[in-house]
Amino acid sequence: MPIPLGVWDIDPGTHLQLSADDEHRVASRDLGHGIMNYLSPTFHPASPEAGAISHLFVVTLVVCAIIFALVVGLIFYSLMRFRWQEGKSEPKQLAGNKTIEIVWTVIPLFIVAMLFAMTARTMGLSDPPPAPNPDLVMVGHQWWWEAKYPQSGVKTANEIHIPVGKAISVELQSADVLHEFWVPELARKMTTVPGHPNHIWLQADKAGTYLGVCSEFCGTQHAWMRFLVVAEDASSFDRWQRHQSAPSLPVVDGAAARGLAIFKQMTCASCHAIGGTGMEARIGPDLTHFASRKQIGAGAVENTPENLRRWLTNPQDVKPGVQMPNFKFRADQLSDLVAYFGTLK
Amino acid sequence: MTTEQFLISGWTWNPLLLVASVAALAGSRLAFRQAGRFRYFAASVGVILLALISPLHTLANGYLFSAHMAQHILLLLVAPALALLGLPASFSVSRLFRFLTYPIVGWISGVGAMWFWHVPSLCSAAAISPTMFTVQTISLLSLGSAFWWQVLAPREEHRLPPLAAIVYLFTACTACSALGIIITFAPAGVCPIFMQPVDRLGILPMLREDWGMTMPRDQQIGGLLMWVPMCLIYVTAILAQLTRWYAVPAPALAEKGR
Amino acid sequence: MNGPALTTAPGAILTAGDRAHHRIAWISTVDHKRIGILYLLTGLFFFVVGGVEALFIRLQLAVPNNTLLRPDTYNQLFTMHGTTMIFLVAMPLLFGLANYILPLQIGARDMAFPRLNAFSFWMVPLGGILLHFSMLDGGAPAVGWFAYAPLSETPYSSQPGVDYWALALLVLGIGSVGTSINIIVTVLCLRAPGMTLRRLPLYTWINFVNSFLVIIALPVLNAGLAMLLIDRRLHAHFFLPSGGGSPIMWQHIFWAFGHPEVYILALPAFGIVSEIIPVFSRKPIFGYEFVAGSTVAIAILSFGVWGHHMFTVGLGHTMDLFFAAASLLIAIPTGVKVLNWSTTLVGGRIRLSTAMLFCLAFLVHFLCGGLTGVTHAVVPLDWQTKNSYYLVAHFHFVAVGAIVFAILAGVYYWFPKISGRMLSERIGKWTFWLMVIGFNLTFIVQHFLGLAGMPRRVYTYPDLPGWGWMNMISTIGAFFMAAAALLLVWNLLVTLWRGPAAGNNPWNAWTLEWASTSPPPHENFHELPPIHSRRPLWDDANPDHPDPVVGGDEVVSPVTEKCKVGILAFIASESAFFGVLILAFLYFNATPGSGPGPKDLNLVKTGMFSLCLFASSFTLWRTEISQQRNHRRAMLGWLGATILLGGIFIVGQGLEYGGLLRGGVNISTNLFATTFFTLTGFHGLHVCLGLVALLVVLGLALAGDLDAGRSVVLEVVGLYWHFVDVVWVLVFTVVYIFPLLR
Repeated sequence: MPIPLGVWDIDPGTHLQLSADDEHRVASRDLGHGIMNYLSPTFHPASPEAGAISHLFVVTLVVCAIIFALVVGLIFYSLMRFRWQEGKSEPKQLAGNKTIEIVWTVIPLFIVAMLFAMTARTMGLSDPPPAPNPDLVMVGHQWWWEAKYPQSGVKTANEIHIPVGKAISVELQSADVLHEFWVPELARKMTTVPGHPNHIWLQADKAGTYLGVCSEFCGTQHAWMRFLVVAEDASSFDRWQRHQSAPSLPVVDGAAARGLAIFKQMTCASCHAIGGTGMEARIGPDLTHFASRKQIGAGAVENTPENLRRWLTNPQDVKPGVQMPNFKFRADQLSDLVAYFGTLK
Repeated sequence: MTTEQFLISGWTWNPLLLVASVAALAGSRLAFRQAGRFRYFAASVGVILLALISPLHTLANGYLFSAHMAQHILLLLVAPALALLGLPASFSVSRLFRFLTYPIVGWISGVGAMWFWHVPSLCSAAAISPTMFTVQTISLLSLGSAFWWQVLAPREEHRLPPLAAIVYLFTACTACSALGIIITFAPAGVCPIFMQPVDRLGILPMLREDWGMTMPRDQQIGGLLMWVPMCLIYVTAILAQLTRWYAVPAPALAEKGR
Repeated sequence: MNGPALTTAPGAILTAGDRAHHRIAWISTVDHKRIGILYLLTGLFFFVVGGVEALFIRLQLAVPNNTLLRPDTYNQLFTMHGTTMIFLVAMPLLFGLANYILPLQIGARDMAFPRLNAFSFWMVPLGGILLHFSMLDGGAPAVGWFAYAPLSETPYSSQPGVDYWALALLVLGIGSVGTSINIIVTVLCLRAPGMTLRRLPLYTWINFVNSFLVIIALPVLNAGLAMLLIDRRLHAHFFLPSGGGSPIMWQHIFWAFGHPEVYILALPAFGIVSEIIPVFSRKPIFGYEFVAGSTVAIAILSFGVWGHHMFTVGLGHTMDLFFAAASLLIAIPTGVKVLNWSTTLVGGRIRLSTAMLFCLAFLVHFLCGGLTGVTHAVVPLDWQTKNSYYLVAHFHFVAVGAIVFAILAGVYYWFPKISGRMLSERIGKWTFWLMVIGFNLTFIVQHFLGLAGMPRRVYTYPDLPGWGWMNMISTIGAFFMAAAALLLVWNLLVTLWRGPAAGNNPWNAWTLEWASTSPPPHENFHELPPIHSRRPLWDDANPDHPDPVVGGDEVVSPVTEKCKVGILAFIASESAFFGVLILAFLYFNATPGSGPGPKDLNLVKTGMFSLCLFASSFTLWRTEISQQRNHRRAMLGWLGATILLGGIFIVGQGLEYGGLLRGGVNISTNLFATTFFTLTGFHGLHVCLGLVALLVVLGLALAGDLDAGRSVVLEVVGLYWHFVDVVWVLVFTVVYIFPLLR
């Protein structure tokens, strides 16, 4: 199964289909750097902050590997050299040696002191003090991420865009329980704590789509609380931001208009906001530009009309435990709703 | 002022203290005649000078709570311990101060000195009033000596048995760590004087911006100094007691611990 | 065998007739060996339960986007797996071994308090039943084994699963404290003549030190659990941000217990290995003093490193750095141990029995787990790897690769002593290799999954390149381990049925347990060899070149006041409990909040009642003096006065509570009320318990029992009463006086 990264094409009826065969093509074209290094994103950082951590990681692992090799070497040497044989006399009863003990206490002390110094230095590099005003506020909810750009007023969910090469100051909040914001290639992880805002810097030096997760257990659907970080050049980012801050396009008639009516009538509006329609609730994700997003259900499935229809038929089927109830829409209602969501580009 | 300038100019040349130090060093050299022990004594004087004339003192004097805490630890725990190690075996306490050699008095001295001088008003007073500061310094040195006497008295028979000493040190460690934890998590202002330092030397911007020592952070470092490094001093002493216990063959020592 | 044997209360020992009633004997037993076996069997039973849970977890994760289990089921499974493996498997197995072996190693006849021992054991099945009962009442807890608030609070976990979890852990914690007090007193008071503290076998020494860790760390958890339960059942606000509480506080409390807990599990494992490696290398342990001393260093340092579990919650760099320093430092005594074990091999005659193989695997795994532990102490690396599968791999290397392997080594080593029969070495080696291969298949690959970005505790994951096959390998490995576990059980059963007889000392080992028969007689020893060193049986076997005598040969008789030592250990444990409550009160009331506060308390009135409580300490002291001087009437008078004064204090507390409750202030009103009622309530509860104890003493005194050599009861209750008074001095200062100073 391909990674759920489908997008709504020009027409909601067709969409970009990703298959396993296409993976390579997508990797190089669409996702750029990110997907190439899935095996160990920790060691393929794409930002100075993550880079500092990665560097320290390599140094620490080398130190650890040397210690490991020395001790295991000693053990195996002894196993080869000093084996028991029936009838052999007892060996020399050596009870210890003070000098050796002091040596192997003092040497680790130096190693530890060195690691500590590097720790202190890298902490400053990988987690500089916060900016006075955040560029992006991420709020963890059970089980999705709300993203707010205070400067432009953009509100979206589970997919954030950032300009390449620019450090973004991110404030992390929680609306309910603890969550944790983690994009291995870009930055340290940080818990979102209700009533205790935290901060990190987010930066990507290469364009691409980076995968983020919630890494603190937060309840039933902790597994599907993933998000995407799309790093793009400054002009694309500006375009995206302008587009996202605009209200949704008005729908006049046809299936889409019926869909909007159902949306209002079926109390969807008590949880979801859609810009330009007067619906402002912030309990669930903002849907103003729903169709521009790549995934549904915080990474549960790719955002295709078929998947959306499945979702609306019964969200509990797609993402068991999700807060959205099953509205038991009729088939025609589903078609209208899907048509309406197709307009929310 | 930059950090370098401060490190050069921040010394407090207290003539009385310097004369006293030289006199103490000379006196002990002549009186004790044991080079090994003299080294400890000299180190003790060095630590006292570090605490009282170096820039650390300038910072502790109304600027930084953490510096105050470092000074406190040096004077209460480090200097007296070294001084006791520097005393000759012939040293004995005059009858007048014999009461100081009871373990419970020693324990209360060591732990009490920590808690007492962190009562907010006393802490502030000691940081601004030279008289109070002198009282504080003398009390820390003497109470610290009373505390360490149980562990480091010059003669073996004056010390607690090793296992009892471990209990003595561990409980003291816990009592001080508790205060350290309280200070670390308390809102800024445990020692109110450090909230609005009078910037006599014009170094406050350097401290706050270059060093990043904001008030909450300063207090947190102070609390953590009392919590972690101070505990390590006790842990070191506990390990030394274990070494003593395993090294001494005297059977009488083996079971007194409880 | 004179002194120690006599100190055991005669009523606690079963007569031969009693022993004949096998079925009842196993339930009502107070014999440390039987209790040890019961512990081991309970641990083994839950090991199977927890293992099956692990298999389901691995089955669900074997392929991406799997739908075998529903997410809630999965979340319950990993919560139960973690809780079970730590509290119902590792602790009982380690306590069981200690229970069986430790008294034998020091030449004692039984544990110091056999009935307390039985009580402590029965807490384990009770805790296990409580925990699993949740399944019948709305489902098992699904909050992870550390139950982070606010997820574990009612708004987010409304089913009673978390309540059962907290209750179970409380019960288990009380049992663990009981066992540890027992171990401390046994080691201090019941050693055989010649077995000085400096000659203790390392296994006993390490368990002894570890017991101090238990009695201080477990009450910290108990205090946290009490707060959580008060939050959940009484709608208080300790950890709920909506009421001003702090979710981070829960983490502090939990990990202030949780990190020492890691060592509580690891230290006894170190002890096992420290016994076995020398025996199968035919050499004494290299650097006994350093292995023993580093244990103390680890025990103390372990209380100062909990913050490394919290590097990602935003404590700030300052605090992170101090905790990093402490965490890095603890690697040093641990490293010293590993080097000493490894060096013990050098120049020996290494015999690769199954027990020794497990020890060697322990060494390698623990080294690996320890080093990845260092990478977690280095803060920025933790910022990447925390809560990922890298962390899962790290702690399983310690918990399974080291601790479980050490327990298995211990089982293979001591099973002949316990059962009198030799386990099959052939099946043993199959078990070992299956286990080693399975373990490494399961967990090595998880390091890479973590670095690839897989978070822990996800019930499924997307099909990213590499994730599928790595998880599949991990799942296959888990089944290898399951096969090994089955072989182990098979080996145990077959051996019990028809294993070859073991003889007293099949391994030619040197510690006292091997001087007895296998299994040992009910009274443990008919005769003890002379003890002059740490290896009495070596001295016995090699009279021409015995070990150098350790310490003086002349032995000061062990402390015989076991009740007093016991109550002091209990008081230490209670201090930790109240310490947490007092610190929590200070933390939550550092800045005055809105609503009721200290101003609503009646300082003068409570002050007067407090004086009554303080006076009761004086009267109790007079009671003891009168008892010593045999002034019976005066003693009864003072004792009565003490009870009266204590009762007056409780009445005073009742009046204070009544006033607040009438004024509409209850435990859920605000943070002040929550902390006030919790702190003073627990203190009041202790006063009431003290009063009950005093009434019992009064009853004994009236019956004339105190004069019949039982006056130690008065001393013991007295110590406890004075402690309760001292706690009130602190509580009164903190709650009533501090706010005046502000």
